[in-house]
Amino acid sequence: MVNNPLTRAWFALLGLSLGSAVLTMMPVPPAVMGGGILLLALVKARVILARYLDLAHSPSWLSGLTMVLSGFALVIFGLYLI
Amino acid sequence: MSDMSDSSLIDELPGELLMWVLIISELLVFGAGLIAFMGVRLTDPAGFAEAQSHLHRTGAAFNTAVLVTSGFLAAQALHWRLAARRGAARLALIGAALLGVIFLVIKGVEYADKAAQGISYETHPFFLFYYLLTGFHAAHVLAGVGILLLVTWRDDPRNIEAGAQFWHMVDLVWIMLFPVIYLLG
Repeated sequence: MVNNPLTRAWFALLGLSLGSAVLTMMPVPPAVMGGGILLLALVKARVILARYLDLAHSPSWLSGLTMVLSGFALVIFGLYLI
Repeated sequence: MSDMSDSSLIDELPGELLMWVLIISELLVFGAGLIAFMGVRLTDPAGFAEAQSHLHRTGAAFNTAVLVTSGFLAAQALHWRLAARRGAARLALIGAALLGVIFLVIKGVEYADKAAQGISYETHPFFLFYYLLTGFHAAHVLAGVGILLLVTWRDDPRNIEAGAQFWHMVDLVWIMLFPVIYLLG
C-alpha cells in the first residue's frame, strides 16, 4: 500500500503540513518563515495536481499549472515583504 | 498541424474539459481574492497581524490534514471503482464526505469562537477578507460533500472522477488559502 503513488502523496502532504507547522514555531526571520511556508504550500499544491488530480500523466499541464501557482506565490511573497 | 497539437494537449487532461475550466476558474477567483487581501494588508500591516493573532491556527492546521486525507480517499475511490471494487469505492467516498463534514464542524467552531469574542466582518478589514474567503471556501466544501454523496449513489466511474476532481479543487484552494490567511502575519 505504501508503494502506491497515491498513498505516498498522502503521506507527503501530511509531512509537508507538519513541516509548515514546525516552521511557524521556529525563531527564524519573517522573510525566511514566509518564503518557507509559501514554498511548502507550493510543493503541496504540486503533489495534489500530480497525484490527486492525476496530472502526473500530463506533464505539460502539470508544468503550466505549477508555473501559474509559482507566479501567484511570488506575488504573495513580494506583497508580504513590502 | 497546430490544430492537431492543440487537440492532443487538451486530450491529455484527465476527465472532463469543463471540470478543468471550473477548477482553473475557481483558482483564479480565490487567487485574486488572496492577492487583494495581501494588497489591503499593506495599508495596515500591524492591524492585520493583530487581527490574525485571534485566529485558531491549530484548528486550521488540523483541517488541512482532514482535507488532504479526504482528498486521498476520494482519489482512491476512483482507483477502486476502476478496479471493479465498487463497495470499497463507495466506502471511500462516504469517508471523504464525512471528513468534509468534520472540516465544516471545525470551521463552525472557529466562527462561533469569533462571534463569542465579538468579532464580525466589520471589526477590521482583515476579518472582512477572512469571512469572505474562508466562508466562500466553506460553501464549496458543503457543495463538495453533497457531490461526493451524489456520486456515491450514482457511482459511474466518470461521475466519481468528476466528483473527486471538484473535491481536489476544494483541497487545492485550501492549501493556498491557509498559509496566506492564517500564517503570513
